[in-house]
Amino acid sequence: MRRFLYIVREAWANMRTNRTTTIVAILTTAFTLACVGIFLLLYVNLRHAAGWLQEDVKIMVYLDDGVSSSLRQALEQQLKVDRMVSEVVFISKEQALKEFRAQFPADSHLLEGLGENPLPASFVVTLAPNYRSPESMQGWADRVQTMEGVAKVDYNQEWINVLTELIGYIELVAIGVGMLLSAASVTIIGNTIRLALFTRREEIEILRSIGATRTFIRIPYFIEGAVLGAFGSALSLGILRIGFELFRQQMQLTGRFSGIESMLSFFPLSLCLALIMAGMGLGLAGSVVSLLRVGEGRT
Amino acid sequence: MDAIIQLIHVSKCYDRRPALSDVTMEIEKGEFVLLMGPSGAGKSTLLRMLIGEEQPDEGQIFVHGRNVTKLKPSEVPYLRRKIGTVFQDFRLLSKKSVFDNVALPLVVQGVSERDIRRKVTEALRAVGVDHKKDQPPNSLSAGEQQRVCIARAIVNGPVVLLADEPTGNLDPERTGEIIELFKLINARGTTVIVATHDPQVVKQVHRRAVTLVDGVLTQERRSAERVEA
Repeated sequence: MRRFLYIVREAWANMRTNRTTTIVAILTTAFTLACVGIFLLLYVNLRHAAGWLQEDVKIMVYLDDGVSSSLRQALEQQLKVDRMVSEVVFISKEQALKEFRAQFPADSHLLEGLGENPLPASFVVTLAPNYRSPESMQGWADRVQTMEGVAKVDYNQEWINVLTELIGYIELVAIGVGMLLSAASVTIIGNTIRLALFTRREEIEILRSIGATRTFIRIPYFIEGAVLGAFGSALSLGILRIGFELFRQQMQLTGRFSGIESMLSFFPLSLCLALIMAGMGLGLAGSVVSLLRVGEGRT
Repeated sequence: MDAIIQLIHVSKCYDRRPALSDVTMEIEKGEFVLLMGPSGAGKSTLLRMLIGEEQPDEGQIFVHGRNVTKLKPSEVPYLRRKIGTVFQDFRLLSKKSVFDNVALPLVVQGVSERDIRRKVTEALRAVGVDHKKDQPPNSLSAGEQQRVCIARAIVNGPVVLLADEPTGNLDPERTGEIIELFKLINARGTTVIVATHDPQVVKQVHRRAVTLVDGVLTQERRSAERVEA
């Protein structure tokens, strides 16, 4: 018990002795990890948006203008029994016109001059959740395109493709920036530990002379590194949360992207805990690097 | 009698300058040995080798049956737990109380709280500073600090006590007291080796004395002999 208390007390004493360095290390680690966090937050939200778009994607199956009622019914039946389809809604030409007028009242006069309703009848198809991947959708659309009475199959695949590609790039950047800044955090914490080792070199010498094992001498420094990393990580999450809320508020105020701010989300609690653990791991790595490089003596 | 320490043809050089040259000696269990010689004679090097802090370039060193030159780094702490060390500069932790300083060797070994209290109290009583157990070492006199250092060295009942110039920072009166303390510890069965160049110590201790000059063992006085004043 005394041994455990000694180790914890030593770690605490290390941090108190080099208070300024400890605070600077926590702050620098926090800002460094916050930079990584920005990318991670962007990545998480874009993934979320992509998932949401994927969930919401509707495939429009436009029908030929002269399609007979029986062919339309046969097509509808065919779509409904398709195992890849979860919902089919028929939109008649009249309904399409009504919806257009409701959605674009200022432009409705454009259709007046045409005399006949130019909008085609269509089926709005929602695919089953298992078949919403870009490949499945493309395959399904290609198949339906060949059916008799179908003029065109359309869906916002391009958007999804662009978003997927963007997520891929952000993922790469996040990994790159993450690795670089994590290495910086390890170095910052490593230097703090090195300073602690230097400050307490006489004490380490005494401990060695009375038969303390390497592990016993090192554990307080491992704890110190882990605590610095965890605090740095927790503080970075705090900074990110404040920044995130300010950004959301700003979006709400400007009103330019109304609705989007409600879709933005911060890291879930589980990810926050994982990030704190990751910070702890980085701190521990800093201690290990420092102890390996400087060492606390040969034996 | 059994040899607790054996040095067999031990040599050590620093930058081609010999610190120890072909030293061979045996110290028996329960002996009190003075390791004499001027500064730079190799006394501290020899003591550092006994606790595994230095390795000889040549030769073998046995302490309590273990070949120190063959120990793995991970085994060295366990050797040191059998050897108490006393330093000229005391090497006490200024931020810890006298009690906590003396308790340190027991703490690193994971001794129970109850045993720590009992053993530290006994050790402090043995060296006569038990009434100062809650004070920081810096508030003590040099003689008292050296007593605390000795208490720390004997608290876990070592088989050998090594002291490197233990009276170097003390006045003659305190020197006498510390030497008496070493004699007392030796009388209880602990082998004591004191490295010194202090003539007062040599006069006061009529025990075996070995002299090192430039790393060479030059002279040996058996314990029966008396030193001329």
